[in-house]
Amino acid sequence: MEPIRYVDALNEKYGSMGFPPYKWSDNPTAPWTPLAKPLADCTVALLVSGGISHCSSVPFDPDARNDHRVDAIDPDTAMDQYQIHDSYYDHSDAGRDLNCLFPVDRLRELAEAGEIGAVAKRHWSGFMGRTYNRSKVIGESGPAFAEELLKDQVDLLIAIPA
Amino acid sequence: MGIPTVTVSTGRDITALVRPPRSLFVNFPMGNTFGKAGDTGMQTKILREALDFAVTATEPGVLVDLPLAWEKDFEYFAGEATPEAIARQLKK
Repeated sequence: MEPIRYVDALNEKYGSMGFPPYKWSDNPTAPWTPLAKPLADCTVALLVSGGISHCSSVPFDPDARNDHRVDAIDPDTAMDQYQIHDSYYDHSDAGRDLNCLFPVDRLRELAEAGEIGAVAKRHWSGFMGRTYNRSKVIGESGPAFAEELLKDQVDLLIAIPA
Repeated sequence: MGIPTVTVSTGRDITALVRPPRSLFVNFPMGNTFGKAGDTGMQTKILREALDFAVTATEPGVLVDLPLAWEKDFEYFAGEATPEAIARQLKK
């Protein structure tokens, strides 16, 4: 099947709800940092934007708008200690097996098999959608997040928008 | 100093516009980026593709379509669209 046209679908949905038109990011170029090491020496972190939090934390606002919250997630969190709150995608499968969206167990297995060097000390969940103030992502919340990755000596981040 | 990233996306058009440094597109429903619940083989396969792409990508902004298909066609997830839900979302 052809990929879903999310831009058209979301424009229609938000327009019908009375939201102001969303100005989609349209970047002519991309930044570039080469991978510095072989995968087998890399520390790898995951970032997901699907409203996933630890059960001991305040749930994400499922209808969030301009929410720059990013939670650190212990990679060894037990599967039954996660909760998902997000009104903008179907997380019924992820609720049964988080790995179909946030593959923490699969990454750990690859580390144990030596395919990557290590799982980072912390994974990350945040940057939920409907972000109208994107200059704040570029100027504040993005760089602050990068600082945290540097603290953990992350060599590679796998980013999973949802 | 930057940190290398690979994005694994189920929204092809949005990702093409944002143009992350390295992107893989998986034509699965949003929320199932790495496949179905319990399908550990597929989850590992897609995660490996992402890790390998960090090694093989040579220029910024490339979006690669993974040759995978969901078992049946799926539609845009509109979510809850009751008047109450819309009012709640408009308040944010």
